[in-house]
Amino acid sequence: MTWLWLKESQKADEYLREIQELGQLTQAVQQCIEAAGHEHQPDMQKSLLRVGLEGRAGQGWELSLLLSGSSQAASFGKCFLDRFPPDSFVCMCQDLRVLNAVRDYHIGIPLTYSQYKQLTIQVLLDRLVLRRLYPLAIQICEYLRLPEVQGVSRILAHWACYKVQQKDVSDEDVARAINQKLGDTPGVSYSDIAARAYGCGRTELAIKLLEYEPRSGEQVPLLLKMKRSKLALSKAIESGDTDLVFTVLLHLKNELNRGDFFMTLRNQPMALSLYRQFCKHQELETLKDLYNQDDNHQELGSFHIRASYATEERIEGRVAALQTAADAFYKAKNEFAAKATEDQMRLLRLQRRLEDELGGQFLDLSLHDTVTTLILGGHNKRAEQLARDFRIPDKRLWWLKLTALADLEDWEELEKFSKSKKSPIGYLPFVEICMKQHNKYEAKKYASRVGPEQKVKALLLVGDVAQAADVAIEHRNEAELSLVLSHCTGATDGATADKIQRARAQAQKK
Amino acid sequence: MAAHLSYGRVNLNVLREAVRRELREFLDKCAGSKAIVWDEYLTGPFGLIAQYSLLKEHEVEKMFTLKGNRLPAADVKNIIFFVRPRLELMDIIAENVLSEDRRGPVRDFHILFVPRRSLLCEQRLKDLGVLGSFIHREEYSLDLIPFDGDLLSMESEGAFKECYLEGDQTSLYHAAKGLMTLQALYGTIPQIFGKGECARQVANMMIRMKREFTGSQNSIFPVFDNLLLLDRNVDLLTPLATQLTYEGLIDEIYGIQNSYAKLPPEKFAPKKQGDGEAKKLQLNSAEELYAEIRDKNFNAVGSVLSKKAKVISAAFEERHNAKTVGEIKQFVSQLPHMQAARGSLANHTSIAELIKDVTTSEDFFDKLTVEQEFMSGIDTDKVNNYIEDCIAQKHPLIKVLRLVCLQSVCNSGLKQKVLDYYKREILQTYGYEHILTLYNLEKAGLLKPQTGGRNNYPTIRKTLRLWMDDVNEQNPTDISYVYSGYAPLSVRLAQLLSRPGWRSIEEVLRILPGPHFEERQPLPTGLQKKRQPGENRVTLIFFLGGVTFAEIAALRFLSQLEDGGTEYVIATTKLMNGSSWIEALMEKPF
Repeated sequence: MTWLWLKESQKADEYLREIQELGQLTQAVQQCIEAAGHEHQPDMQKSLLRVGLEGRAGQGWELSLLLSGSSQAASFGKCFLDRFPPDSFVCMCQDLRVLNAVRDYHIGIPLTYSQYKQLTIQVLLDRLVLRRLYPLAIQICEYLRLPEVQGVSRILAHWACYKVQQKDVSDEDVARAINQKLGDTPGVSYSDIAARAYGCGRTELAIKLLEYEPRSGEQVPLLLKMKRSKLALSKAIESGDTDLVFTVLLHLKNELNRGDFFMTLRNQPMALSLYRQFCKHQELETLKDLYNQDDNHQELGSFHIRASYATEERIEGRVAALQTAADAFYKAKNEFAAKATEDQMRLLRLQRRLEDELGGQFLDLSLHDTVTTLILGGHNKRAEQLARDFRIPDKRLWWLKLTALADLEDWEELEKFSKSKKSPIGYLPFVEICMKQHNKYEAKKYASRVGPEQKVKALLLVGDVAQAADVAIEHRNEAELSLVLSHCTGATDGATADKIQRARAQAQKK
Repeated sequence: MAAHLSYGRVNLNVLREAVRRELREFLDKCAGSKAIVWDEYLTGPFGLIAQYSLLKEHEVEKMFTLKGNRLPAADVKNIIFFVRPRLELMDIIAENVLSEDRRGPVRDFHILFVPRRSLLCEQRLKDLGVLGSFIHREEYSLDLIPFDGDLLSMESEGAFKECYLEGDQTSLYHAAKGLMTLQALYGTIPQIFGKGECARQVANMMIRMKREFTGSQNSIFPVFDNLLLLDRNVDLLTPLATQLTYEGLIDEIYGIQNSYAKLPPEKFAPKKQGDGEAKKLQLNSAEELYAEIRDKNFNAVGSVLSKKAKVISAAFEERHNAKTVGEIKQFVSQLPHMQAARGSLANHTSIAELIKDVTTSEDFFDKLTVEQEFMSGIDTDKVNNYIEDCIAQKHPLIKVLRLVCLQSVCNSGLKQKVLDYYKREILQTYGYEHILTLYNLEKAGLLKPQTGGRNNYPTIRKTLRLWMDDVNEQNPTDISYVYSGYAPLSVRLAQLLSRPGWRSIEEVLRILPGPHFEERQPLPTGLQKKRQPGENRVTLIFFLGGVTFAEIAALRFLSQLEDGGTEYVIATTKLMNGSSWIEALMEKPF
């Protein structure tokens, strides 16, 4: 029938109707398309495929375009069967075009359709690549619209790997040629190509190629393998990936002698600070050497302070470490830290002596707490002496004594102390602390001595609302009046509240 | 689904689902029953991503905390270590693996690095001779964890210290990676703004990473219009001040960890007799009432609570009006919701009472007064009496340090004499070992001598209007309500960037540390946005080095402004407050 139809025979139409009536038209068309696949002669393929199309004039050209590859498959759709799906037809056209291309005598891969289907396109492409038929392989990829990563990129990468083996071409030219062809093609790994170049002994070329590699994670390990550690280091730093930097650093540390390693670090501040962090946790001694090399006396000072707590246990050792720290601070021109460290040494020795002489726990208490402990233990003289030696400011010393004596509930001593001279912190703290210990009786003693500014507050603290009101009225202070008023509770303070209201009214009149 | 993540302009559930999927895929790779050995620090953040039920669905039968010696017995096929890439943790893992009982059943080991695989750590495992014991060694890129509908955090505790003191940019690299993940899910962010050294570096890394992905063109329509990267050291002041929003105060007083707060149980109705444990509450916008009050100034919370109480009791009263069966049915159908609302109200009334006890105390008032004086520029150049008294009474050191640092920042550094006096007082009172902490604070720029004898703070304060005398706490009109007068500098910078633009404040930007910059990431024409008139822009603001709840509240306030023009999504390396911040900078040698 095909032949009849192709010859535009009238009979064709009759047969066609017959087949259609039998309901086998779809099958017939399908068979024609498949038959085309198994045909080797392009003319014959065309003929068979044409049957798949409506026999209207002007359809033939569409087919030949399809076979020659330039037509859009989408334009197909004029099947003479109303709903015959065009896919199988389009696929066959594409497959045939690929097959015809590789069957060409220049290429010489006479595959049958079945072999091709068995093989898959991927394998066919691999074969082409192995025969270095890169352009054809790429054309096929493009024609079949394969995703770039599986298709074009892969072949370009193969090409590049082949290219790097061409020993007669200079590194410069190879690198440039590769970059020109590959550009930023997604899925191409410059590091893979570079690895190949390195494998062929072309290290310089490999380095050049790595320049095009945007992923530092790929770049750096290869550079390390090629013993270009310093370049690897700067690439790692550029990436910001600290893990990568560490990896290179540890590599460098093994590769270089210590001096060179330190010098390399010195020129890379970011790497240096990372390495310091590493040493802080892993190699304390190296950390010290690093600071020494940089004459970083401030950090050296801190280092020895830390050591005085962490590594030294005996008092002598601790003091010695602190002395080293203080010296470093002096060198760093940090007078304050140096003096403070010396004070600390003094305190440590003293605490040791106190422990020996008085027993109990003094070591590692702060100065403030040492004095407090002495007072709590009843060693007032010693406490005084210590406070003088370390020049504890008067105000803080008063707070300290006040707190300690109240803790002891040594009210007698507290009173004596309060009268020793005029309190630099006023007397409100005395009232507060007595009340905290629930000693209203003692609190009242001090309330009377509180200065006018805080008098109301003190009186309220000891619960003397009436007197507080009197003082507030005397002060004519609105804020104080409100404060007192807010403390007036229940019936007991009723009279006081009235008194305040009257005073307020009077004040308003004026 | 976590409903509270999808309320905002940007549906952060997309991110949560993506990381959950990744977790499931990993778990399924290790076929058979499993036990997870946890780096303890990770359990909190993981809780926001996946509950135990998800792990259970994927045959996780046991969970242990990572510690030395032999692993606890567990009849499972797989042992999976979930760890941060840290050397000290590798040592523990190696110890676990090496002390595995050879006579027992053979178990497969795997390791999941969070958020990134590390060559350094693998080298360590190799050196310890155990690297080959692990079948799967993978990474789980959990960089940004969704906390709320507009809030992401890396919960990286050490980020500030590492970046600003130790020159370790690891967390910046993770931040950049996290931003790349966000862009993969929410589209390329067309404009990047930034201020500060770290911001600059993160932007550089992002641009570089984008080049690494060339070819895989992002075809997602961009959700974010801008990204603003801000260094914490551009604004050292804000976290030092006491936050005065409801959520901020809960955090200041009790601490909020991974969106949970532990509260003293006294004021809550006991669940059962003898229940003396701390009450643990999850705090996020899934709770309607909390969403309403969290960002208010605490002084405005009481009235909302009492209004709510009236509404709820009125709703319960409705039952007397329900006469017909239909009405009763309707009432009953609303009951669960009403009961939940009542429970929520009871909880927050209790919390508010707890906070009120603190905020009405005399000491809180005194401290706040001093803070506000400093921030408005009063007496910042001399020794402050209140601070002196705090030291003398040995108040908590962190409190003292916060105040001294605040004074230093508000005075562009202290006069040498004043600084030395404070330092001496602190060392004598709290111990000489704190000399290390003081030095750290100095390195971070928090506590330093004034250089050049110039105080720049007044210029900054005036230009950026950081101090507002007329604050309306109940119905705020300006972000300064979050600190009852002080407008957070960081948020002011964001506000001015959106309108009228940073060009207007060039002078101040030059005073603040680090470069300011702008980068564009070109979009293919198909993805360019045509904004509808009146449609707000969405800005992702990333705080490198931490952010406080008060700053978040201020940004939410700006998002809600009718003519604001910008809505914010907030990301950070760590949710923090002044105390947790200072604490992370402290060094305790013993």
